[in-house]
Amino acid sequence: MSIVQTKGITKSYDGFMANKNISFQVDEGEIKAIVGENGAGKTTLMNIIYGLLAPDEGEILIHDEPVTFKSPADAIAHGIGMVHQHFKLVPSLTVYENVLLGIEETRNVKLGKRTLKTPFIDRKREIRRVQEIIDKYGFNLSATTRVRNLSVGAQQKVEILKMLYRDVDIIILDEPTSVLTPQEIRSLFETMRWMKENGKTILFITHKLKEVMDVSDSVIVIKDGEVVGDMRKSDTDEVDIARRMVGRDVLLEVDKPRRKSPDELFIYEVENLSTVSDQGVEVVKDVSFGVRRGEILGVAGVEGNGQTELLYLLMGLMHATKGRVFFKGRNITNRWPKDIRRLGIGIIPEDRYLHGACKELTIADNIIAGYHGTPELCRFGFLKQQKILERRDELVEKFDVRLSNKEGLVDSLSGGNAQKLIIAREFNADPDLLIAAQPSRGIDVGSIEYMHQSLLDFAARGKAVILISSELSEVMSLSDRIIVMFRGEIIGELEAAKATREEVGLLMAGITKQGEARLHG
Amino acid sequence: MDKESRIKKVLNVLLPVILALLFGAVFIAIAGENPLTTYATLVQRSLFDFRGLMQTLHFAAPLILTGLAIGISFKAGLFNMGIEACLLMSGLFVAVLGFRLGHLPSPVLIPILLGAGILVGVLTIIIPALLKAFFNVSELVVTLLMNYAVILLVTYLATYVFRDPSRGYISTHVISSNAIFSRMFGTRLTLFFFIALAVFALAFILYKYMRLGYEMNALGKNLPFSEAVGINVRWKIVTIMSISGALGGLAGAGWMMSHAYAYTPWFSTNPGLGWEGLLIALLGSESPLGILIAAIFYGALKYGGYTIARYTSVPSEIIGIIQAFLILFLSIQFIRRHRLLDKFKGWFKTDKSHKEEGA
Repeated sequence: MSIVQTKGITKSYDGFMANKNISFQVDEGEIKAIVGENGAGKTTLMNIIYGLLAPDEGEILIHDEPVTFKSPADAIAHGIGMVHQHFKLVPSLTVYENVLLGIEETRNVKLGKRTLKTPFIDRKREIRRVQEIIDKYGFNLSATTRVRNLSVGAQQKVEILKMLYRDVDIIILDEPTSVLTPQEIRSLFETMRWMKENGKTILFITHKLKEVMDVSDSVIVIKDGEVVGDMRKSDTDEVDIARRMVGRDVLLEVDKPRRKSPDELFIYEVENLSTVSDQGVEVVKDVSFGVRRGEILGVAGVEGNGQTELLYLLMGLMHATKGRVFFKGRNITNRWPKDIRRLGIGIIPEDRYLHGACKELTIADNIIAGYHGTPELCRFGFLKQQKILERRDELVEKFDVRLSNKEGLVDSLSGGNAQKLIIAREFNADPDLLIAAQPSRGIDVGSIEYMHQSLLDFAARGKAVILISSELSEVMSLSDRIIVMFRGEIIGELEAAKATREEVGLLMAGITKQGEARLHG
Repeated sequence: MDKESRIKKVLNVLLPVILALLFGAVFIAIAGENPLTTYATLVQRSLFDFRGLMQTLHFAAPLILTGLAIGISFKAGLFNMGIEACLLMSGLFVAVLGFRLGHLPSPVLIPILLGAGILVGVLTIIIPALLKAFFNVSELVVTLLMNYAVILLVTYLATYVFRDPSRGYISTHVISSNAIFSRMFGTRLTLFFFIALAVFALAFILYKYMRLGYEMNALGKNLPFSEAVGINVRWKIVTIMSISGALGGLAGAGWMMSHAYAYTPWFSTNPGLGWEGLLIALLGSESPLGILIAAIFYGALKYGGYTIARYTSVPSEIIGIIQAFLILFLSIQFIRRHRLLDKFKGWFKTDKSHKEEGA
């Protein structure tokens, strides 16, 4: 039985076709995964189904009835709800207040036969009703907890609660696993299966193939705005899906040459590094580690446990309140970004369009950024235009950056290609240490493969790499050693070759081997 | 750039002008004149008549400089509103020095005075520049408010310290004839216009070919990016603000030596050459060539005010009305271009519904 069906959905922006004639159907009570590389058009499609965008052509049928949505409110009225990748919650309010925001229940007064509405909120009834749903789906939450005290996984449940309360039949989850620990992901999948058993239909956007195989019943693959695969899970596998997504064979597992770390001195060493945020919270606490030549040090952890601040400290964008950083024996604590780069440290920043590349500058301008003052590119304050263009052409070619217009802005590149541009710039300066933060975030499978290989090759050339990533499989497969951050501290260090996903996952959740949970530590 | 966006860009510049002229036309009609013939007179007298064109260029000279001063800072994302202050300070000190050093011959005195004007401009803007660079104090607020402090300061100095008591109104001594740019071709045009033109050429080269121009652009487009890739942001802020102040100072010096000859409270006219520079920077889309064209257009409008009053029954104040509308429409565009509204919208709306973006 089809519950949602799209027929020939087409949407274009300024001549760019984000969705081309997309037709598919979702059966009632199934979990359908929608996969595709970034920029393939998944989010556009979901936004159309959720009423945030209007399609140029095509129609949506719900229970075989054609519908037109002017806004998400229309979609919700037709039983479609969406949980966004970035939560839309008010931290200072409680769970039930967040759930009922905008649809508060008011207290009614009975006067004879008539019922009068008052402007007062009926808190008791609200709490009761929200708690009922929480219990029904086994969410292990209290309706009266403040959202700011909840973990990320629990906050996501509140988002799902919002939709369940509005009694939707179809729930769209937009990349729901990107912020969760492996344990939280498992719990989310249980919730999804439970919702399915309760008659809900789930549309699940992801680009992680393992998850597709784990939880979904069927899968749709989108590439360049078109459906290139519409399969039952039983008829396909990860390799097949990846091939369809990218359009060629993809190496899913990295072949990491394991090497014994030789007893060698650290090229880069951090001692007791600490810093406080603007709010005065100590966000990085006594962090110490070192990296050797030829080694990849993975920094794992659930996002928001101090990795960003640690990165800013290492980049020279934040001031350390305590501790020291040494590079090749020189103290470089609290030096400017300019000095850090000049000494031979390359950086692939976490926030690609804030610190890595500038969308509104041209490709050439981005390629030279930070190195525009070097004698090869600049003399007497004048830029050598010809040399700059030559370098652009050389690097675009060498690093296989796919672009439609050489003179164009970085804005015109996909996330993966913008990332390649950053890699090109940083590698070209031939640093001895590369700090890569969340390097595979938001880029397609093909580019991830390329990037991982680049990092491995770089380390194999006797250079050091610090890889900060919340993508556990990435850290596990690339690193030689792994340190796990939790609440600004390093909670554990493991040899990657011996570590298991479960071990690292527990550390990410703040549970050390001694079995003590450090959640409220 | 494709054709469509180029047309859009041109339209973006022309639309405020056309709208301002349309609204101006309504008021000309109210004054009982034919708007078309009035505008025709204006264009004819200020642009297609030799003496008129020279007048136009004469008025445009300081505007090119103040326009560039503001355009350069805006390009780097620095909202320097203090050009009026630089211009007034420079005007006063050049007037004083032009009188006191009047015994020096022109070839010595004029460069000294121009240099002094530039120096005063830089010194005026250095305080907000340092505050911005080292303490991240909003340059917009400080420079905006600084104008009022400076107006009071120079008015005080002109009234009590440097006043020429022989004059019936507040004024410094008239500068020595050695300090005055001589007129060319028997018109109002002086060397000052060519100095402004040379500065325009330098700015053009700066934007297009120089390292600092690249850094300005990067800074203006994305400050965290510039910092992260190792541009010394503090030092660049000080440098760019100083250049901006220097141009404001040069404009003040040149205007004193080519037009005012003594410092009076109405030296910078109304609304003020620095403020008009802001208008011109916006009209010229913050690019040097655009600013040059906008300054000449504006010079034509300014001189046109006099000719309209002389040749038609429309009062010269009509130009003020057109200016006011121009400011209004340009500010709308300014808010849009710098996405000032988005900053507020961002508080309510976080949906990225337009483009698919990475996690």
